[in-house]
Amino acid sequence: MNQTRPLCILIAAMGGEGGGVLTGWIVDAAERAGYPVQSTSIPGVAQRTGATTYYIEIWPEKTTQRPVMCLNPMPGQVDVMIASEFVEAGRAIANGFVSPDRTLLIASTHRIFAVAEKSAMGDGRYDTGKLFRAAKDHARHTILFDMDQAAKDAGSILNAVLLGALAGSGTLPLDAAAFEDGIRTEGKAVESNLAGFRFGLSHGQNEIEARADVLSSLPPAAAMPALADRIARLPMAVQKFAAEGIKRLVDYQGVAYARLYLDRLDTVAKLGDEALANETARHLALRMSFEDVIRVAQLKLKPERFAAIEREQRVKPGQPYTVAEFLKPGVEEIASLLPPAMARSVIALCERRGWTEKLHLAMTVQSNRIGGYLKLRMLAGLRGWRPRSARYAEEQARIEDWLDLIRRAAALNLHLAREIVDCARLIKGYGDTFKRGAGNFERIRDRVILPALEHRLSTTAATDALVQARTAALADPDGQSLGNMLGDFEASLRPAVPQAAE
Amino acid sequence: MERSFAKEIESLRLGDGDIFRGEGILAVTKAILQSGVSYVGGYQGAPVSHLVDVLVQAQDMLDDLGIHLETCTNEASAAALLGASIHYPARGCVTWKAIVGTNVASDALSNLASPGVAGGALIVVGEDYGEGASVIQERSHAYAMKSSIWLLDPRPDLPMITRCVEEGFELSEATNTPVMLELRIRACHVTGEFPAKNNKPAKVSRNSRLPGPAAFNYDRLAHPPATFMQEKLKLEQRLPAARKFILERGLNETMPGDLSEIGIVVQGGLYNALNRALMNLGLADAFGNSRVPTLVLNVTYPLVPEQLVQFCTGKRAVLMVEEGSPDYIEQALHTALRRADVNTRVHGKGMLPAAGEYSIEALTRGLLAFVKTEQPQIDVSAADAAFNGALENRKTAQTLIGTNLPLRPPTFCTGCPERPVFTAIKLVEREIGKVHVAADIGCHALATFAPFSLGHSILGYGMSLASAAGVGPLMNTRSLAIMGDGGFWHNGVLSGVASAMFNRGDGVLVVMQNGYTSATGVQYIPSSAGNRVDGLASGSDIETTVKALGVKWVKRIRSYSLGTMRETLRDALTTTTKGLKIILAEGECQLARQRRLRSDEAKALKSGERVLRTRFGIDDAVCTGDHSCIRLSGCPSLTIKPNPDPLRTDPVASVNSGCVGCGHCGEVAHAAVLCPSFYKTEIVHNPGWWDRFSDRLHRAVIGWLGGSKAAPAPMPAAGE
Repeated sequence: MNQTRPLCILIAAMGGEGGGVLTGWIVDAAERAGYPVQSTSIPGVAQRTGATTYYIEIWPEKTTQRPVMCLNPMPGQVDVMIASEFVEAGRAIANGFVSPDRTLLIASTHRIFAVAEKSAMGDGRYDTGKLFRAAKDHARHTILFDMDQAAKDAGSILNAVLLGALAGSGTLPLDAAAFEDGIRTEGKAVESNLAGFRFGLSHGQNEIEARADVLSSLPPAAAMPALADRIARLPMAVQKFAAEGIKRLVDYQGVAYARLYLDRLDTVAKLGDEALANETARHLALRMSFEDVIRVAQLKLKPERFAAIEREQRVKPGQPYTVAEFLKPGVEEIASLLPPAMARSVIALCERRGWTEKLHLAMTVQSNRIGGYLKLRMLAGLRGWRPRSARYAEEQARIEDWLDLIRRAAALNLHLAREIVDCARLIKGYGDTFKRGAGNFERIRDRVILPALEHRLSTTAATDALVQARTAALADPDGQSLGNMLGDFEASLRPAVPQAAE
Repeated sequence: MERSFAKEIESLRLGDGDIFRGEGILAVTKAILQSGVSYVGGYQGAPVSHLVDVLVQAQDMLDDLGIHLETCTNEASAAALLGASIHYPARGCVTWKAIVGTNVASDALSNLASPGVAGGALIVVGEDYGEGASVIQERSHAYAMKSSIWLLDPRPDLPMITRCVEEGFELSEATNTPVMLELRIRACHVTGEFPAKNNKPAKVSRNSRLPGPAAFNYDRLAHPPATFMQEKLKLEQRLPAARKFILERGLNETMPGDLSEIGIVVQGGLYNALNRALMNLGLADAFGNSRVPTLVLNVTYPLVPEQLVQFCTGKRAVLMVEEGSPDYIEQALHTALRRADVNTRVHGKGMLPAAGEYSIEALTRGLLAFVKTEQPQIDVSAADAAFNGALENRKTAQTLIGTNLPLRPPTFCTGCPERPVFTAIKLVEREIGKVHVAADIGCHALATFAPFSLGHSILGYGMSLASAAGVGPLMNTRSLAIMGDGGFWHNGVLSGVASAMFNRGDGVLVVMQNGYTSATGVQYIPSSAGNRVDGLASGSDIETTVKALGVKWVKRIRSYSLGTMRETLRDALTTTTKGLKIILAEGECQLARQRRLRSDEAKALKSGERVLRTRFGIDDAVCTGDHSCIRLSGCPSLTIKPNPDPLRTDPVASVNSGCVGCGHCGEVAHAAVLCPSFYKTEIVHNPGWWDRFSDRLHRAVIGWLGGSKAAPAPMPAAGE
């Protein structure tokens, strides 16, 4: 019996990505070279972005007799696994289609986030670190790099880069010319696809490691000489965030406000725990630059913002374009710009009349047109007024309260204090998002933090509860998980009372 | 409809001496044309949509051959189309997706099979079974048995598939019985080649018409007492004739092997996977030379008992490889052997899984058990080790990677006009509480996935409103049914709307009017703006139709108008007005629209016309990383990226280059009062003098006022 087996190629892709095009190129190259070949797929028709696969078998000998080829892959019997995205490569590995004795894994390391990752209320991104290890452990050989970027650089589609990497790997009995002929025959975007193909080809022959996402390096210490001194006196670890913080707050409100930031930070820094001070430096800067209508107008008018838009949207020099902003401040947000006493009566009135949820000032403002520019500038110009506004007063009170909790907790247990600092990440955003976050913080404060500070609860139990509560608060937008978690937590604290009947 | 099948059509023109190369379903189409058919029809559905789609665009070829093409409004009308073959010597072929399409067609199928056919009648069903399936898993086999329709399940190899099409017509004519050809999803898309023949014009066709109707014949009607006679005919004449034909033509194949004590009986469609599993055990080579004798059933109904008995006689045991449940063939095999008093052991379900696709893995496991039990002298330890090694490797990989890999279900296309309707439903639910949502078949069923997770049940195509009829009266709040315009015409208009009117239903129905049946690859429907026959609209309008049925409360809303949609939904769900309330959510399928727009835009850009290009964006600095916008949209082009702000850690939302500028982001930001980070850019390509002048003026004034002059950054020379 003939012992030869077909070469099996499995392609993992997403609907709408053109995995069929890549499959077609490979089949075409094999046919051209005279090798029997078969492909099949389960296309999702119009159902976009769902995970799908294409499967190809190539008979490695030139023959006129057609072998029996298969329509689905078998774990342990895949020679080349191609994945157009990194989590899809992970899925293939987890499904057993990448094996150490046989499989060449060609995958792009870029990520296309799944809905569950995108819609998380905080950071729901899958940690791809272990996928790199799984790829190294489970494949015979790997070709991994950011092919999406490579395709963009070459002006081609990603599939052309994948095809190049396959050709460069030398795993198939087909030379690069056979593939190139296929791209030419197909006749679509030939030059750019050939560029992408050649890019992939050279990488296929000479593996390049994926570059991990490195956080952009922090800007140099702020250029505020008066404040720079004070930053220098902070522990080394805290200086980076502190410098970033004062830079932001000088822009946000002014030098005096940045000084207030440092005053507040000092009260935590002198507690002597660097990690605590560092995270406080970060969150405090964010909390003090709370988002109000004025801040939004400030940010929308920044010259570097327009430069970024032109870069992202590929506006050519001198090309006319407009930028329309979607603003819809609610009555509360507008009223909170008034002095506290006035704001309180306006908000009370609105609540009586049931306007709070309904009254919004919907605006579509063209920020690079004269009228829109003037509106935004007027709003941004309220910066000087901000310290007299109700919102400012409220936020300062909230911040002082939070700092007070941190300091009191630090006296009991540093872990607890650090967790309280971290709870600040719940408070962010605008309108409903802000209210929900601030409300969640209040619930956690009243039911976990205060009981701990008042010695009604052990600090270790409270620390654990804070970690859980934060996760629960970010689990759903309805606050249901947090409610359940706090309920369960409190129930677990109640001493079990034996029933009389027992 | 916008997709071009020019390349595929070329391969349908091949003739004697040519080699056809292409996909399975296209090969079937070619074989139909080679068989001299008079008419073809069908209803779209993966994986057989291509059959009709390609023919729609090959109208001039059909005209030459005189073939009538009917793009049916549902599978029942496609099955009824075969009625033409009852009296007339006309070959006809129809197609649809199984099992769902066969369910819809079954009334006509029963009444077609009973009187029987004079001209060959072939039904091509696409079995959407196994990985990637989108419908429930049931067997077409049951339909074949209950109605006496012969069922072909060819080896997934183009020469065999096309042979079964051609001989299927002959079998149908030789036995006066409709024939069903089932193709699994991967077989529909498998590529291969076969020697083509000339297309054959039919004896009866549009070019060669019948002089007049057949003589009246009560026996051809599905009425008692004729049906009693037809029942006898089925069993006493047609069935034996079919068995004779199958044997004479050698439609089932016996593959020899030296291990004569054992054997395998396999459905044709599984043959390739079985051969690979045998290779894994070292019992076959890649050219089908096997040591185990194998009976390949390219016809799975009717079975030929003599053939089964003959194959099994003298064997210690056979393995029955039959995918799906119940195990009809295995039971029949037992019966045949018992009746012939042959004591061959039959293994099947048990060694092979009761449920699930028969992958090479499942078959290898089953074969290992079979050989170890029945031929213990054969050493399969190496195969066993390799098999278990592969599974062990998978297990370690799963342990390493964990079980939390993000799932990636399909979702609405970028710019899909159906997305905003579900955003509106989510927003209305925030105000009035949750409602019962009856979902339906179609793209809109994708709303059952995150981030919408809307839909309590899916009963069938166009069945949503009917499926809510019993829910509404039992609940304090009104129920909401979602239906596509495809589902509306498929049967929702009667089983849903007419029935609700008849019963004074008080629910709400949203009909997604995107102009096509989109999930099946964008086909025209009666209310499309075009028609394949003459390019004009068919003139069937949903609003007029429901009004004619007596519906008073009908609102037509542009689906992208989120605010209006939300108000209308709220009103429909809470108004004191009784009766069925219908909202027509209008917005063309974005897939069809983009196919058209992209080429139009490219032409306009090239010819120097003014083109306004709209894109959305998000300000990194303003976005706080809460992702509410994503939870209300799920648009593929609305994604996340690392936060560029060194003080923040949560990723920010970001609009990628796939944005088509549908405007939904902006509408959501406004309607849901989200956050002010969304912006819309409108970039003028090929600007006129007024564009340039006003742009310069605005830049100059803003610059003079001290703002950003927005001096464009130098651009790389990347082409547009």
